Amino acid sequence: MSTASISAHLPPRPWRIRAAVLLACAIGLLIAAVLGAILAAAAGEPTAPMRADIWHLLRMTSIQAGLTTILSLIVGIALAWCLNRLRFPGRGLVVGLFSAAIVTPGIVVAFGLLSVWGRNGWFNRASEALFGAPIGNIAFGLGGILFAHVVLDAAFAARVLLARLDAIPDARLKIGQSLGLGPLRRFALIDWPAIAGTIPGLAAIIFLIAFTSFPIVLLLGGGPANQTLEVAIYAAVRQDFDLRGAVLLALVQIAACSLVILAASALPPVPTALGPSAGQRWRDRPAAQAIQWLLLAICLVAFVAPLLAVLADGLAAGFGVLGQPTFWRSAATSLTIGSGSALLSVTLAIALGMGRAATDIPLLRTTLGLPVFAYLAVPAVVLSFGFFLLVRNAGIAPGTAAPFVVVVANALLSLPFVAATLGPPLDAIARTRGKLIRSLGLSGSRQFRAIEYPLLGRDLGVALALAFCFSLGDLGVIALFGTQDFSTLPLMMYAALGSYRSNDAAAIAAILLVLVTVAFVGLPRLLERLAHARA
Amino acid sequence: MVNVTRLALAVLAGLASTAALAQDKPTLTIYTYDGFASEWGPGVPLKAGFEETCGCTVNWVAADSSIGTLRRVQLEGETTQADIIVGLDTAVAGEARATGLFADHGLALDNLALPNEWTDAQFVPVDYSHFAFMHDTDMMPEPPRSFEELIALPEDIKIAIQDPRSATPGLGLVLWVKAAYGDRAAEIWEGLRPHILTVTREWSESYSLFLDEEVDMVLSYTTSPAYHIIEDGDETIKAALFEEGHFPQIEVAGILKSSDQQELASQFLAYLASPDGQKVIPTTNWMFPVVDLGDELDPVFATLPQPEKTLTLPEEEITANSRAWIDEMLAAVQ
Repeated sequence: MSTASISAHLPPRPWRIRAAVLLACAIGLLIAAVLGAILAAAAGEPTAPMRADIWHLLRMTSIQAGLTTILSLIVGIALAWCLNRLRFPGRGLVVGLFSAAIVTPGIVVAFGLLSVWGRNGWFNRASEALFGAPIGNIAFGLGGILFAHVVLDAAFAARVLLARLDAIPDARLKIGQSLGLGPLRRFALIDWPAIAGTIPGLAAIIFLIAFTSFPIVLLLGGGPANQTLEVAIYAAVRQDFDLRGAVLLALVQIAACSLVILAASALPPVPTALGPSAGQRWRDRPAAQAIQWLLLAICLVAFVAPLLAVLADGLAAGFGVLGQPTFWRSAATSLTIGSGSALLSVTLAIALGMGRAATDIPLLRTTLGLPVFAYLAVPAVVLSFGFFLLVRNAGIAPGTAAPFVVVVANALLSLPFVAATLGPPLDAIARTRGKLIRSLGLSGSRQFRAIEYPLLGRDLGVALALAFCFSLGDLGVIALFGTQDFSTLPLMMYAALGSYRSNDAAAIAAILLVLVTVAFVGLPRLLERLAHARA
Repeated sequence: MVNVTRLALAVLAGLASTAALAQDKPTLTIYTYDGFASEWGPGVPLKAGFEETCGCTVNWVAADSSIGTLRRVQLEGETTQADIIVGLDTAVAGEARATGLFADHGLALDNLALPNEWTDAQFVPVDYSHFAFMHDTDMMPEPPRSFEELIALPEDIKIAIQDPRSATPGLGLVLWVKAAYGDRAAEIWEGLRPHILTVTREWSESYSLFLDEEVDMVLSYTTSPAYHIIEDGDETIKAALFEEGHFPQIEVAGILKSSDQQELASQFLAYLASPDGQKVIPTTNWMFPVVDLGDELDPVFATLPQPEKTLTLPEEEITANSRAWIDEMLAAVQ
């Protein structure tokens, strides 16, 4: 596999590039319109003195996000390495559970963490019972934020990287095995090249999530000392109604995030292996295997225990909530919204990814990589105000527009994750199958149906599952839309929490988690089967 | 794929249009916060009660917070659909009044039973309670009896409070400390700092931390124990009464000047502040009613210990200084 340019192989695909450029421009225009609408609304307001110390916030946020990114990638690579080597019953479920964390509403995960690691959590109570002394409260402060972020992001990183490791072709593994590579050399020569292409995009995503993280920072941060820019923007908009200040802070955040995104998307693509591997077994030496089992056990305790705690709390609370009509209405709305935005998000990711894969021009590749991150760079509360103003300026009743806005916003929200899953394989197809496609004289649509769709099968399933689950969880964007009949499961969970109904909230959290896990385990298998049935 | 997308869009359009059915009766649109309009909140019975006599349709529109309702109306200005906002409180009433968006309610309101006399021309009280720290008698049988006693406790006694920029109780605590200690407020906040486990965005997050026993005390209301007694039969959760006195939260409702249904809106506010409307408040919003309900008030509410002293601050002072006081608090607890 060489990093040969694609133009030598793949036939030109001008329509793919045009469509991708058009979509990229549309997303860019949408963000510009959001900020413009807020500035226009602020035109009549007096200028308030800016309260936030931007440099302090930028520094604090960058340190936290940088640490999160490094830790998450290290843990994620280690975990993917273990899972790739080990085979055990329930492996699929474990992989699904690991990925479930990132798409579960942050606040649910945070409370799950506390159930395990908090002052009154499993470990402290066990330690008190066994040794007569608690281990202390480690779940709060900067340590708590990092811990929670690593639980979310490392598991996601591991999921994406594992897909790449599992796709390493048998031929390569056979050569490696016949050369008698040790575990370290095997990782350096076979594994690393397979995952290297995915790491910049992953790092950018993790950095941006941590940079803009909201509920976890506020709950576990311990106080105003651990703030992010996003929290300051929230305060400027909500508390001070300082719209101009909010747009200014948002521009700072967009600029900071763009640096990270540009750095990540300007890197040349690294060829990635494709499609499922026959699952050839090549075990590492016993010592390395022992380390793998140990690492996996630690990760299971750290990552899966908080989710199990959510389930346990839900079971303990009882499922009285199932008897409420609102629950079923909310569930139906959640599923509809989730499906709609999953389809939109995957379509956008494929269109942008195919356009990107069809060109060698660095500037164009970078431009097509940018819009993927729109939602991560623009603060949710700014999007919320902006979307509200846009809808109103267009003369549409906010209540009527709410479902569509949520679908669009959630598709954008999940786009970076979906693109990180689908982008590298699309690039790889253009590079490794280009010659074949040219020699067969396939048209663009035949190329998709005959080559790309079957090869993407499993990744498409992962992408759909990611997008679907993200959309179950997020509603920040319609905070102002206020519609009486429009409720989703997370919204109902928050309403229950706000009305002292913590039992109902716990039950809904557990149900959400089950839904997310089922989607994660089921959708990739389903899509893989469908894709192969057609191939 | 295209067909599936179309189908999904059609379902979404169907979901959206159910709210927009044509009606010949007048519609009273009321903005409120999510909890008030939720199926457990007072919105549902109030709508049913008022619709019995008004010949109108009540349409609750719920933003994610009470400040969110004000921000939305500020963004919408003259073109807002809202006739009424329910759920602002006395801490932001001054700021809301200064927007000039609210009309006089014109109601006599002579049978109110509030800690202090009510003379507001624009806002009608909806319910009230005093801010207080909750404790669990199993974990903390002897709660502190003042901020200074709380500060003097060992540092591993933890409390959860809310961010004054996003949650009304958080702002309430800033005002409470200011009303009780004036220039010493910063000193009190610095004393509280080691005890503050976290400052959450919403009340519900702090309260969940308390129920999960992650903290010993949480900032809430003197009426919070009523929920646990009435719904769970749990009498262990109590409000700690402080000798300095307590600051109240009084939730209010106001009519927008831009409403073309001033008469109907005024009737709704009269109903809201009448014993008929008020009787649904205590066991749905878990606050005290603003009129004397007599036998109609759940007896549990009469057993709740109440502060001897209600602290107040003049509205002009709150409006002029709340930003500075919040900054003072944030600086002290950082």
